[in-house]
Amino acid sequence: METKVEEESQYRSIPIKEQMITLKRILKYVKPYIKQFVIAIFLVILLAVINAVQPRIIQTFIDDYLATGIATRSTAVMFGAIYFGLTLAKAVVTFFELYLFNIASEKTIQNVRNQLFAKVHRLGMKFFDNTSTGWVVTRVTNDTEALKDFWNVLLNIAQSLLSILTTFGAMLLLDWKVSLWILAFVPLLLIVTRFYQVYSSKTYSEMKSKNSMLNTQLAESINGMSIIQQFRQEKRMIHEFEEVNDSYFQSNFSMTKINAILLSPIINLLYTIAVVAILGLFGYDALQGPVEIGVIYAFTSYVNLFFQPLTRLMDNLSLFQDGVISSSRILNVMDNQTYNPKQKENPDLKIRDAKIEFKNVTFSYDDEHDVLKNISFTVNPGETVALVGHTGSGKSSIINILMRFYEFQEGEILIDDQSIKNYPIQELRHEIGLVLQDSFMFYGTIKDNIRLLDDSITDEEVIRAAQFVQADRFIEKLPGKYEHKVVERGASFSSGEKQLLSFASTIVKDPKILILDEATANIDTETEVLIQEGLNRMREGRTTLAIAHRLSTIRDADQILVLEDGEIVERGPHDELIQLGGRYSEMYELQNLGYIDPSHN
Amino acid sequence: MGIYKKLGWFFKDRWKSYLIAIIALLIVAILQLIPPRIIGVVIDEIAMDVITMDSLIKWLVILFVTAVLQYVLRYIWRVNIWGNAQKLEKIMRNRLYKHFTEMDSEFYQKYRTGDLMAHATNDLRALRMVAGGGIVTMADSLSITIITITAMFIVVDWRLTLLAIIPLPFLAVASRYLGRMLHTRFRGAQDAFSQMNNKVQESLQGIKRIKTFGQEKEDIEEFHEQTDNIVEKNREVYKIDSLFDPVLDLIIGSSYVIAIIVGGNLIIDMEISVGEFVTFISYIGMLVWPMFAIGRLFNIIERGSASYERIELLLSEKSGIIERQGADNKPPKGDIEFKVDLFKYPNSEEVALKDISFHIKKGNTLGIVGKTGAGKTSILKLLLRDYDHYDGEIKFGNKDIRNYTLDSLLQSIGYVPQDTFLFSTSIRDNIRFSNPSLSQEKVEMAAKISDIHQDIIEMPNGYDTQTGERGVSLSGGQKQRVSIARALIKNPEVMILDDSLSAVDAKTEEEILRGLKELREDQTTIIVAHRISSLMHADEIIVLDEGEITERGTHEELIEQDGWYHEMYNKQQLEQKNPEFVEEGE
Repeated sequence: METKVEEESQYRSIPIKEQMITLKRILKYVKPYIKQFVIAIFLVILLAVINAVQPRIIQTFIDDYLATGIATRSTAVMFGAIYFGLTLAKAVVTFFELYLFNIASEKTIQNVRNQLFAKVHRLGMKFFDNTSTGWVVTRVTNDTEALKDFWNVLLNIAQSLLSILTTFGAMLLLDWKVSLWILAFVPLLLIVTRFYQVYSSKTYSEMKSKNSMLNTQLAESINGMSIIQQFRQEKRMIHEFEEVNDSYFQSNFSMTKINAILLSPIINLLYTIAVVAILGLFGYDALQGPVEIGVIYAFTSYVNLFFQPLTRLMDNLSLFQDGVISSSRILNVMDNQTYNPKQKENPDLKIRDAKIEFKNVTFSYDDEHDVLKNISFTVNPGETVALVGHTGSGKSSIINILMRFYEFQEGEILIDDQSIKNYPIQELRHEIGLVLQDSFMFYGTIKDNIRLLDDSITDEEVIRAAQFVQADRFIEKLPGKYEHKVVERGASFSSGEKQLLSFASTIVKDPKILILDEATANIDTETEVLIQEGLNRMREGRTTLAIAHRLSTIRDADQILVLEDGEIVERGPHDELIQLGGRYSEMYELQNLGYIDPSHN
Repeated sequence: MGIYKKLGWFFKDRWKSYLIAIIALLIVAILQLIPPRIIGVVIDEIAMDVITMDSLIKWLVILFVTAVLQYVLRYIWRVNIWGNAQKLEKIMRNRLYKHFTEMDSEFYQKYRTGDLMAHATNDLRALRMVAGGGIVTMADSLSITIITITAMFIVVDWRLTLLAIIPLPFLAVASRYLGRMLHTRFRGAQDAFSQMNNKVQESLQGIKRIKTFGQEKEDIEEFHEQTDNIVEKNREVYKIDSLFDPVLDLIIGSSYVIAIIVGGNLIIDMEISVGEFVTFISYIGMLVWPMFAIGRLFNIIERGSASYERIELLLSEKSGIIERQGADNKPPKGDIEFKVDLFKYPNSEEVALKDISFHIKKGNTLGIVGKTGAGKTSILKLLLRDYDHYDGEIKFGNKDIRNYTLDSLLQSIGYVPQDTFLFSTSIRDNIRFSNPSLSQEKVEMAAKISDIHQDIIEMPNGYDTQTGERGVSLSGGQKQRVSIARALIKNPEVMILDDSLSAVDAKTEEEILRGLKELREDQTTIIVAHRISSLMHADEIIVLDEGEITERGTHEELIEQDGWYHEMYNKQQLEQKNPEFVEEGE
């Protein structure tokens, strides 16, 4: 839901002040590369100067030599040579300016990207609960990519302004009176620019939102085509698509019209009118007395240089908006405060016996509704404690706070009688092995998926871990065995096989504490046996906390905790609880009557 | 250039608009020559001191009029040409979409969503460039070049012109050469980007796993490798990209240098006037863009042709499902007789179904069980006419299903697929997907029987709640129930549940099945399931293994047969009742 609001707000216009704040903040990421940018900007200035000098060369040639008749063949060659020298200089400067600027902007983007990605990893599970993966991916990839255009827009704007200023300076040097006349065009240009901005930004954002609607509908139709066909809704869907397609076309066409009225054609018109003014002024002067004709040539060239950048400037205005929007989205993530829980790390603290103790722990996800209330229990070293209860009873929350995915509000969690907050987070991650319910697989080989990103794990260790949980049986049958490539998130593996791999990746770390979140997926009976055996093997000699959906799997636990609405309502070994005749025995009975999974809703 | 022939149908259709645009373009090209000439003339008149108030005003008025004319004509060609290009894109997009709706499942196995999206966006954009930018570039650059060079020949001096334009062809060559190089390198950069994109996606989807294993640092390092790669690939791009402008400047600059040296000499020899010289230099400036554009034109055409070919290929794909002539368009009713001797998936040697035959009386229920990959879904696919080629015959209401139109056959079938897919619209519209004009009462009734009504009214917006990508996320069980309601609301002659209760708990499953039975007393139901409890009450149950029927009968009969079904049933029962049994039995 959050994503949706965000998506819509992008098409609202942002106040200028806010735009400037965003711009200032995003420009901070430029800092490490400021040298390259400064050099590039310096080269831009140099270019503007060369551009202003070139017409002067021709003007001097005309006025001082050709018009006066003192030109010789060698002066012609000399002026040609000077002009060529300048051209060469301009080419070299242009190359370095573009190259330096682009590399610097690419590196800035890398900087933003790296920081953003690191930031995302510092955010806690709470953030990921409320945010879709796609949303975050877009921030890290496309919004940062859009910054590239944004830097170019900024460069273009700077370049255009500089070239306008230097050109005007050159005109002033040449003839300040005529130059002032040119200034009269400035208010006119400002009006046109303003008009363009007002009309284009609205149409432009409309066009963009229509385009994204179009693509969404297209992608969805392709994904749901079998449904569309089975329900014979092709005609209706075609009709709906054509409507969206047409409205996209309409807004696209309006944009074209606005550009045709207010963009380059009008700048061209204004340019020619300026030429009319210049010729008029010089011509009028000529009627009174002699005029340097080369100056007229130079002026008409300058006027061209003065107006040319304006088209680009105006074109860049709508892109500027895009850049601001992307920047503000990036900053939005950078500003997020939903961090991982804080540790008060004592670097020498190690987990030895692996005794777990919860003391009066109270926890809430939203600071409003307690999902765990005053929970206390102890898991002695090597023991297995099972958590039982319906969905929402708090089983997963116990694991979530023990894993430090979320911060708990009251009470204490102790490992070996030390607060869990005192351990270095790496120690906790290393010694607590959580077997996840949905075993996600990464792109890479089977081996990579067992050792994950820890390069210190040897191939032998990987194979030994796979053998231990009996995953080797199916791995050995794969082409390439441990080097077998996992594609498409492991779609070719059964959920049972994925579970076994997940076991292997947990056991290869040899953790002292094991946390099991039993899978609910359909697993074929053969693999199921392997999984049960794997679980039993893994539990040996480890302190284990297990969530069980099927009560049959936890009968031999040292203690079973029955949770209801965030409280422990019953506790004890299986037989005791059955004798007690309370919630547990009731659930156990129900399951035997055909309720396979009490935690399902 | 072949692409323009292939797009002939479009140009023929829009010829008037293109003609207007091209005439406007040509006139603009000619009008553009006037200002430099007038500047030259005025300069000459001033230099020779023959200028008068009248002549000055005359020239200025002409200048002004050409400017206004240019403005109007520019507007005309832009709107026409860009508008046409956008229209072409629209037409092609509609065509593609319509084609997609006609394709069978084979097509969708061959092409992935991402590829199809790319065709419908990138390839269409390339086509739009051909019909827009391509035409403009071609008409404009050709006309400007020819007209300007002619003017230089006639108005100024032919020798000067010939010498000055020597460097210009290099411009077209250089821009084409650089453009090609840029294209390959750019692709490399794009690959690097999409690799990074995949990396981020994977990290975020596996965020819990990364946190569990405490591998944030390693993951960030891996990400840095990706971004380093992007910078390196882009460095290669920028090396070429930054060459474009300097090369252009250099070549054009050479023309200026020639003009200065040769033109200067011609003035000294009194062959041309200073004003003519000024005009000439302005004309050179006007040749910059057409030369550059011609090089670009080649790239546009190259990309456009490749894109058009890809689109043509897509459009030429045929569906394997063809409506027979004189097919019955009355929705079938009655018994289903399934007799398939052999079925293989296209391009596959493996036998998917062999000697499958069963008969479902109108109003009866058939259950199908078996391991994953045993052929359960294949049977349904043939019934739904996803595939038409097999040895044997499937009769519905005493007629081969291939003798019905798809519209009429599927009208009679309500299918609830394994993977539930909901559209990004309200829950209400998802349920009444088969007919958006169905009333709220009907929707609610279907929802009640599917046991989803209560869930829906508890949602913030009730039946108006949006689902799909941008809406609320429903649980697997909720999605399954919505899609049952979606099939049920059609009141189909045959209802097919393809393992569509897997995420629903046993109690709810029982209620839904009971509700269906009551409501659909005279109608047929086919249930495919892993859980025996889902189909044990069926009138006949068939057990599949490797595409063949290995056991069949009612639940009781199958239990007596003491085969796989019995074993499976026991296992499922025992698993719940007696945990030790499973462990010891290993």
